[in-house]
Amino acid sequence: MSSSVVGGIVGAKIKRREDVRILTGTGRYIDDAGDRSTLTAHFVRSTVPHGRITELNVDAARELEGVVAVITGPDMAAFTNPLALGAPIPGLNSATYPALAVDTVRYVGEPVALVVASDRYVAEDAAGLIEIDYDILDPVVSSTDALAEGAVQLFEEVPGNVVYRGGFEEGDVEKAFAEADHVLVDHIDQHRWGCAPMEGRGGVATYDRSTGQLTYEASTQTSHLLRLLVSGFINQPIHLMRVITSDIGGSFGLKFSIYREDVALCAAAKHLGASLKWVEDRNENLTAGGAARDETVTIEAAVRADGTILGLKADMVMNSGAYPIMPPAPVVTNIAGYMLPGPYRVPAYRFKATAVATNKASYISLRGPWAVETLVRERMMDLIAKKVGISPVEVRQRNLVPVTEQPIISGGGFTMEGVTAAETFEKLVSMIDFDAFRAEQKAALAEGRLLGLGVGTFYEPAPGTPEFWGKIGFPFGAEPVRLRIEPDGHVTAFTTQIPHGQGHETTLAQVVAEEMGVAYEDVRIVFGDTDATVFTMIGTGGSKAGMMATGGAMVAAREVKERVITIAAAMLEANPDDLEIKDSVISVKGAPASQVPLAQLAMGCYMAPGMMPQGLDLNLEATAIYDGENGGWGQGSHACWVEIDQETGKISIPRYLVVEDCGKIINPDVVDGQVIGGVAMGLGGMLLEHSAYGDDGQYLAGTFMDYLMPSAPEVPEIEIVHMEFETATMVGSRGVGEGGTVLAPAALLNAVDDAFAQVGGTRITQTPLTPTRVLEALGVIEKD
Amino acid sequence: MTDREITITINGLVKTARVEPRRTLADFLRHDLGLTATHLGCEHGVCGACTVLLDGETVRSCLALAVHADGHEVTTVEGVAPPGEMHAVQKALWESGAFQCGFCTPGFVMAIYGMEQERAAGLPCPRSRAEIREELSGNICRCSGYQKIIDGAEAVLAGEGDR
Repeated sequence: MSSSVVGGIVGAKIKRREDVRILTGTGRYIDDAGDRSTLTAHFVRSTVPHGRITELNVDAARELEGVVAVITGPDMAAFTNPLALGAPIPGLNSATYPALAVDTVRYVGEPVALVVASDRYVAEDAAGLIEIDYDILDPVVSSTDALAEGAVQLFEEVPGNVVYRGGFEEGDVEKAFAEADHVLVDHIDQHRWGCAPMEGRGGVATYDRSTGQLTYEASTQTSHLLRLLVSGFINQPIHLMRVITSDIGGSFGLKFSIYREDVALCAAAKHLGASLKWVEDRNENLTAGGAARDETVTIEAAVRADGTILGLKADMVMNSGAYPIMPPAPVVTNIAGYMLPGPYRVPAYRFKATAVATNKASYISLRGPWAVETLVRERMMDLIAKKVGISPVEVRQRNLVPVTEQPIISGGGFTMEGVTAAETFEKLVSMIDFDAFRAEQKAALAEGRLLGLGVGTFYEPAPGTPEFWGKIGFPFGAEPVRLRIEPDGHVTAFTTQIPHGQGHETTLAQVVAEEMGVAYEDVRIVFGDTDATVFTMIGTGGSKAGMMATGGAMVAAREVKERVITIAAAMLEANPDDLEIKDSVISVKGAPASQVPLAQLAMGCYMAPGMMPQGLDLNLEATAIYDGENGGWGQGSHACWVEIDQETGKISIPRYLVVEDCGKIINPDVVDGQVIGGVAMGLGGMLLEHSAYGDDGQYLAGTFMDYLMPSAPEVPEIEIVHMEFETATMVGSRGVGEGGTVLAPAALLNAVDDAFAQVGGTRITQTPLTPTRVLEALGVIEKD
Repeated sequence: MTDREITITINGLVKTARVEPRRTLADFLRHDLGLTATHLGCEHGVCGACTVLLDGETVRSCLALAVHADGHEVTTVEGVAPPGEMHAVQKALWESGAFQCGFCTPGFVMAIYGMEQERAAGLPCPRSRAEIREELSGNICRCSGYQKIIDGAEAVLAGEGDR
């Protein structure tokens, strides 16, 4: 059965309701929370990458006027449990750690003490009075350092700094490589970069001594998981803990993790019986909030002389930073591993992964955390094309699996079905005049201008399938929605999604309105509050909302609607099959005179059940789950045009084209926004952003003057073409938030490779593509 | 530190208050006056989320001190339209689907509002998409990729609000 959400409200270009408060400045972000009794909490952080604390003197700070408390690591350890954020995953060796450092610090920015004061100015004054001495230990910065023989070990319980080793094999890899006409090898050393939402982390923790209840208003993507973990770490009975969220100023994966700051803040609020607010500043966010990518991959391809792939091997090493955090390393490496063969026919495949501990902030999730697989695979496709003498277009066409030839078993060994990467690629190719570009490229070169064009394609779990997540070792999960028809016929739906820019208040209201037959304006979406919403482990993340939350809203609406129809049928003495709900009125199809307004029916159910038809279910509230059936995939193809200034090393992007397929579009502006923002992030990550560490482990990018964010002139105009392939599942929509960021780095680097090839530049194997690195590759300046 | 008395006209209302000389204009607006539309994204003058108008010129309220504004006029997002209404700049950005998480939004609204005020006064203002992108380079948005913000700004700077 195809999606029933067709026509009308779903799919319409409806202006987002969130925007009214966003544009008028009436939103409530985390620094807007709290009241006059709320105190400020400020973390004092390590300035060294690795060391033993030999002295921590907080006396002067405690005496400063306006300071309520200064809590040290040992103080905090007395009323919190060690943080165990690893998961019982085979091969994972995850260290536990205290909320505040007790004796050893392992990254610049690690929280050492917590100051509680009347306001932030006083708190920072007090922080300046705290004296800390360290016995400096050798830092371990790169993955190579961490794995070196005799390397300094970060944790006693993590031998050789190896947090995780794993891998798998599908098909006969040895045979594939033995029979190959060519074996190609490539390598990428991707730098560390981060989420950097415009609003950092933060929360307001309030302990009510009279009830023993702790309320944590948090800037989080995942309120129920936060509640579950924090309550355990601070010995707060979970039923006496409530997490609420309001507007969230972006996240991109950052606020999926549960941080030691969350634990320390909630523990301190409980300990002091107070209301405490922590809002991190930009320096804290960039230094201590964690960052992502920071991985190397070596890939080998066995191919026939015509460019057909026979087999792949990949070896990934992830720099996990010092302290393990959500998601566990193997979840990221496994997704990368299983997605790496991509939408191509790959008969044999071997993947190995290693995650290591280093003296950096934690490795966290960032929009398509597995994206490096697409980067190495799509660059390898171009290498294969070059090797066998065909175009980048042709090599992909020869290896892609058209949707009509599915289901088949993917290179990763799971069923691939409904994947339209090949179709998006054909559409992309049809929109590009390659001959004209080659002529332009040649003419430009004659004028000393260097142009390049790169393409790429991919698919992603959006949300994936139960079988796929079984291989990853992570639950697929169902999506619950609680839905209530109010006494006046309005509808309130409680989602477990926690929107932070995705517009779920609008899109889910569109879905519910369409299903129920009520006006869009009559539907309200409630989110975040753990007292109101149904438990799920993941809130918003993993491109789940498009399909799963939509499905949850549909099944909940259908369940309640069925009850309404049954009641109305009795009231109208009609056959339920003949009834419909339109504009909040239940009527007999074709005989609109026989009708009852939804508001009248609802009021009757709530206020005068004795006067309603008897023996029927008059409960107008239901909680239903959508299990996602066999899930689904998101996919797309990109083309990137670059011009490289051979004097300055600057890469500009005159044109960028996206063909995406996330299935049925619920709201076109929301989908376009996700695609454009995703591409901008992928390009920024490759060209500008770098969570850089010195060889000494010192953090070097603590401000937006060092950590360069893409601004409007750097981001190209992005052309988007939509394809809306629908599978057999009830919901025709799939996730779209991550794909732009996953594929853009590959399209960009392929374009740069293409440009470099015009002048014999050295192929880039290390990111970011800074002007210095570009000029080195072009031979304009000597390599450092 | 000795507090100083300051008098600022904020969104047309005259406010007198005592503040520490080191208190930023942003903190004064947000925490002392409860005008929380102005957001702090970096507190070192790069991201532009805290942009307000000081005597009609866009400034970063994270880098300005409250005492700097003594005797001057400050306009924030709360002051660009009556409560419950939207200014033409806000309407255009709503129509174009410009924003996602909304944290940077007040800064963009004020920056574009500043341009729109200049246009309305017959002063030069950016018109082309490239000019608007350049003019907005001091405001960072992490979600949108800017394109739809430029769409909205382009529409309003073409005089759409006059119609």
